[in-house]
Amino acid sequence: MAFDMKAVDKIIEEKGKKLSATIPILQAVQKELRYLPIEALEQISKKTETPAAQLYGVATFFAQFRLSPVGKHLIKVCHGTACHVAGAIGISESLGDRLGVPAEGGTTEDKEFTVDSVACLGCCSLAPVVMIDETVYAKLNRQKAAKTIDNFCKCQDKKEDLLGTLAVDKKDLGGKEIVQVLIGLGSCGIASGGKAVFDIFQAANEKFKLGYTLTEVGCIGMCHCEPLVELIARDGTKTFYGYVDGSTAKKILQEHVAQGRPVEKKIIDLEKEGSDEHAFYSKQVRIVLENCGRIDPESIDEYLKVGGYTAWEKVKKGMTPELVIDEIKKSGLRGRGGAGFSTGMKWEFCRKAQGDEKYIVCNADEGDPGAFMDRSVLESDPHRVLEGMIICAHAIGATHGYIYCRAEYPLAVKRLNIAIDQARKKGYLGKHFDIVVKEGAGAFVCGEETALIASIEGKRGMPRVRPPFPAQAGLWGKPTNINNVETFANIPWIVNNGFAAFAKYGTEKSKGSKVFALAGDIKRGGLVEVPMGITLWEIITDIGGGTSSGRPVKAVQLGGPSGGCIPDTLMNTIVDYDAVNATGAIMGSGGMVVMDDRACMVDIAKFFLDFTQNESCGKCTFCRIGTRRMLEILTRITNGEGRKGDIELLEELAAQIKVSSLCGLGQTAPNPVLTTLKYFRSEYEAHINEGRCPAGKCRALIEYTISAERCTGCGACLAICPVKAITGEKKKAHLILESVCTQCGACYQICPVDAIDVK
Amino acid sequence: MKIILNGKEAKCECGETILTVAKREGITIPTLCHHEELAPFASCFICVVEVKGLPRLVPSCSTLVSDNLDVQTHSPRVLASRKVCVELLLSDHCGDCRAPCQVTCPAGIDIPGFISLLAKSTEKEAIKIIKENLPFPASLGRVCPRPCETECRRARVDDAVSICFLKRYIADKDLESPAPYIATPGKSSGKKVAIVGAGPAGLSAAFFLRKEGHAVTVFDAHPEPGGMLRYGIPAYRLPRDILAKEIGLIEKMGVDILLNKRLGKDFTIDKLKKEYDAVFLAIGAQSASDMRVEGEKEGGAISGIAFLEDVALGKKVNIGNEVVVVGGGNTAIDAARTSLRFGAKKVTIMYRRSRDEMPANKVEIEAAEHEGVDIQFLTLPQKMAKDASGVTLTCIKMQLGEPDASGRRKPIPIPGSEFTAHASAVISAIGQGVDTTCLDDEPFDIKLTKWNTLDVNSDTFETNVAGIFAGGDCATGADIAVTATAAGKKAAASIDQYFKGEKITGTPKPYLHSMGKKEEAPQELFEKVEEAPRTGMPELPAKERIKDFAEVETGFTMELARKEAERCLSCGCRSYESCTIRRLALEYKSEPDRFAGAKRHIFVDESNPQIRYEGHKCILCGSCIRVCSEVKKLDALGFVKRGFVAEMKPIFERPWNKSTCDSCLKCVPLCPTGALSLKVTPADEVLMFRAMGVDASKKIPNQ
Repeated sequence: MAFDMKAVDKIIEEKGKKLSATIPILQAVQKELRYLPIEALEQISKKTETPAAQLYGVATFFAQFRLSPVGKHLIKVCHGTACHVAGAIGISESLGDRLGVPAEGGTTEDKEFTVDSVACLGCCSLAPVVMIDETVYAKLNRQKAAKTIDNFCKCQDKKEDLLGTLAVDKKDLGGKEIVQVLIGLGSCGIASGGKAVFDIFQAANEKFKLGYTLTEVGCIGMCHCEPLVELIARDGTKTFYGYVDGSTAKKILQEHVAQGRPVEKKIIDLEKEGSDEHAFYSKQVRIVLENCGRIDPESIDEYLKVGGYTAWEKVKKGMTPELVIDEIKKSGLRGRGGAGFSTGMKWEFCRKAQGDEKYIVCNADEGDPGAFMDRSVLESDPHRVLEGMIICAHAIGATHGYIYCRAEYPLAVKRLNIAIDQARKKGYLGKHFDIVVKEGAGAFVCGEETALIASIEGKRGMPRVRPPFPAQAGLWGKPTNINNVETFANIPWIVNNGFAAFAKYGTEKSKGSKVFALAGDIKRGGLVEVPMGITLWEIITDIGGGTSSGRPVKAVQLGGPSGGCIPDTLMNTIVDYDAVNATGAIMGSGGMVVMDDRACMVDIAKFFLDFTQNESCGKCTFCRIGTRRMLEILTRITNGEGRKGDIELLEELAAQIKVSSLCGLGQTAPNPVLTTLKYFRSEYEAHINEGRCPAGKCRALIEYTISAERCTGCGACLAICPVKAITGEKKKAHLILESVCTQCGACYQICPVDAIDVK
Repeated sequence: MKIILNGKEAKCECGETILTVAKREGITIPTLCHHEELAPFASCFICVVEVKGLPRLVPSCSTLVSDNLDVQTHSPRVLASRKVCVELLLSDHCGDCRAPCQVTCPAGIDIPGFISLLAKSTEKEAIKIIKENLPFPASLGRVCPRPCETECRRARVDDAVSICFLKRYIADKDLESPAPYIATPGKSSGKKVAIVGAGPAGLSAAFFLRKEGHAVTVFDAHPEPGGMLRYGIPAYRLPRDILAKEIGLIEKMGVDILLNKRLGKDFTIDKLKKEYDAVFLAIGAQSASDMRVEGEKEGGAISGIAFLEDVALGKKVNIGNEVVVVGGGNTAIDAARTSLRFGAKKVTIMYRRSRDEMPANKVEIEAAEHEGVDIQFLTLPQKMAKDASGVTLTCIKMQLGEPDASGRRKPIPIPGSEFTAHASAVISAIGQGVDTTCLDDEPFDIKLTKWNTLDVNSDTFETNVAGIFAGGDCATGADIAVTATAAGKKAAASIDQYFKGEKITGTPKPYLHSMGKKEEAPQELFEKVEEAPRTGMPELPAKERIKDFAEVETGFTMELARKEAERCLSCGCRSYESCTIRRLALEYKSEPDRFAGAKRHIFVDESNPQIRYEGHKCILCGSCIRVCSEVKKLDALGFVKRGFVAEMKPIFERPWNKSTCDSCLKCVPLCPTGALSLKVTPADEVLMFRAMGVDASKKIPNQ
């Protein structure tokens, strides 16, 4: 045995022997040993109440757990929707080439690296991304991905000297003296290099005695301009900088901090009409994201300063549970997890259910590839969610609360735990009601309430038949109310401002705001909060600024794997549960991925089916086998091997899977296929009947050529081609050797003069 | 409380499931994952029903009733869903319901069954199982071209099992025994049937009709019964006494065989129709086709079958020293080898295509060459001329072109390659047809096909005239004996239905899942099988055997037979009878290939002394896991992984006997497929059914 069994014993000691400790124990053991050796599993099953077969079932069910050793560094390549659209397959291939492992993943011979694919890292507006250990690297392409590895190896060898030759000579600036520096360190900020910027400001502060307070804040939603730095002067003047890299940071220190001369070029002015940033903000409302990026998420005092916990105080002072429920019902708030059930009604059911103990669960298992709203809220304003839960607990009479959070969100988990600790100290949590964070272990199906409950109980995340609904018999058979992060985050605002203020926004049946993770082929991606009733077109063009490529919008994907693709012709669809449902998509939790005309709709449908069939728990026949068969049919269509009748077969399977599956995953899994068939049927037909991919995406059906007239012979394509299929002399037109070309599209992406044609 | 079940009110109580209520009301809803002793699981979704007002179908096993719930258990939507459900399960189910040899055998003989019984030294049981489908195993054990062996999976390891020789061994042992097995005739039905033709089809029909208790009379034009088995196959391949003994056993069942009675001359069908309740025509295909060669008539070409018949009848046949046989089928080979035995010094077969296309059995071709027959491939006679010295043949060499309608490459003459050959006699064996002139005088027209065969319904063997059935070569054109035998059996089943006044549907076709053709079967199945070469058939030396008509192949000894029987892999599923998914596939007319795709991999665990686990047959209903956990509290089994690749495995995916299993066997009967089965052999299976009084012949598939 190559590991210390005592460590395993210690973990069991800490976590307890109950079935519900199963997943926490496995997570802790894996953290300790980097994988789950079978001997450790044996030990766990011997020392706890979990039978070996069930333990092993859990360990093999969740994506997080590994039963074989991994390399020293773990590289996770994100294959979420936005990353897929942005070329994640190419990133996997490039990393595979660089490290000598298969593109699907594997461990290098020297055991330094293990490459793995993940469903989504929640950094969609920075796509494509990879995570090495706990750090996200963003906006990659093939070349950058390989270079990231080179740099990573170098960094391991020596620690960089942060400040180098920087010298800061600070003048006395009086009221203009910078007293606080806020740096956006949500996952997106970190991925964009925010940590390095933070380190520079920290080191300079110490070295040159600059005297400002350095604050880590969450995300304000403008992911496209990360890293963001805000300077606050003694007189209260605020200056916002975007796109700050190491050299900009040094420039800000030398000029603004030291001399009081702002670095105009990098300033972002949200108020200035006509600016990109103004456009990004002017149509938004801020209810859920009210404090995001404005306060230090690790400080309860900052939350209190902006009015935190006043809603709870108000409830505590004079609102009966019935009154709270009534307020929420009247506000018209509907579940933001996607299904859109009335939150107030849900609370009422649970309130009325008989039970000596009741539970509430905050579903923060944001598994939808292409969505990161919950992550941002938890990372930027965790107390808001706690406050919503505390009010809910009061309303339904719950004593225990759980936050079921994705393990892929380590920062969110960390900040939640800090917030819970602080709330306990202040007495908001504790005696009457307490909250525990449960880390999910990687299973999209656990977004389904009954599967989520099974997982908290320490079992495989397999849904069961409803009724009984969780409101009657949930966790350990007790009445349980489950809402998602955004729903809870709305509660304090509604209580504080009254139902009418909330219901002022929106449409007849969809009230308030909705947060979307705007990503894909979009100029200004990020986290946006819009009033219900706004059109998709407004979000995409006015807020998002249209496609990043400047090409026409082809479709927008809403609702992730359970949703669908809405075509450009329906862009006047409004954000409203029923209006979106009418298109065949669903509102979903808020993933909004924009695609330009280079996205192949069959490929997109295949992408989602690949996801769902991977995430199917495997219980129901139709979902387990049916989604696999749909994927196989889609795969053969994109490979140019589609057969007559395949479309009809897809339709038949889709219809059957929808009506004969136990849970939401199976019931909605066919939606991406059905909507693309509804709006883009001719694209399927072109693949099958003509062997043609109209979008020029499906490798088996396309051919790349270089236009001799447009090619400038810059050599960029020649350098990036992974199979050396391109020849040509410098400054002369290049040529693609058809027999060698693997249609990976690297040249197409890199060509600076659009000289590469695809047909 | 009440619900509305298929339009009718049904009383029920709060807390009951729809399934429970339906069962009480006598409505059968299929289930796979549901068992009364286990908590509802709702995974298979075969038990779905339609509830008025709900957009989705609901699993009846776990949906509780509520007052006035309006439920449809067999609506078109429900049936369509169940059909697809079974299709999806089958698309991921890997196994053979029946062994490929049995499925390939036209007669559907339970081959693993009889081989396993032989290995167990229970030959008496083995002959019974064979005769449930084939009345002449000793004869066919000698002459059958063995389609079964071409699909024998053992060939993936080394060579096919000698199925046919083993069958012959068992049948020979039976014939040699003091009291050979005679099938028991059924209780007299009072119905009489006339059969025309005492060949394999006619006698087989007679055998099976007698088993049902009908009175059977067989008419035949020849002086001896047996049809082509007697008059088309030379005695060195099928000794006359063997055939006679087997036919004798049929006669002992009470079948009357009237010989030297020729249809159209000695009697008519019209007359039979008046005297009997039904007529079965099995008149064969015994007229030779012409070679269509210039000078064929004048040149005096002898027809192959006429030649063989004359030899069989003991007539004097003058063929001289140099014989040329034209054709590539078994008749050509038989004629050539018979010519050698008649003293011909040089025998040449001329065939217009190459060896690969030759329709005769490979073993027969080799035996002929071994005996000195010269085969000239790609050779076509074009002209014949006779003079005092014999026959001069003008031939041309051929080359192969594109495949024709039969799939064989079409021979094309090579210009200028003409040559001449000399022969003392030319035997033409290029094909046979049905002599339908015997039907000319009937007052009704029996419909014929464009190939001049009798036009019958291929499932029921009915002709266009009510009460007249036909089968065998006269309906199919010349084919192998075992096909004719199978036709006789199937026609008998239809005639039995006709007598009973039932709808004539023929023999029902069961659903048979398959892992595909021999070469398609997954390699993992064979990896652990140790090689053991096929047991050769002892035979007379070539030089000696051409001297007379003594049987060339002398048969297995007991030792050889047992050794060969051990080679059988016992393909097929031991849960064939109990399998629910197979029954549902038939019931819902599921098409297993509609959703063909990746399948679960082959996994066999036989570490438990009593239980065999075949993971590739599992449909993940979880019944075994749940009974072990919920009822036994042992948790020896569990789900592993998720989604399409999820599996049922013992603890830590270790061998079954390393788990906490106490071999209580509670899980085995809950398995709806053959994924979990008791470790029985095909022989155990046969003996078990025997003990239960089940006639397996009714259950075993025919094609």
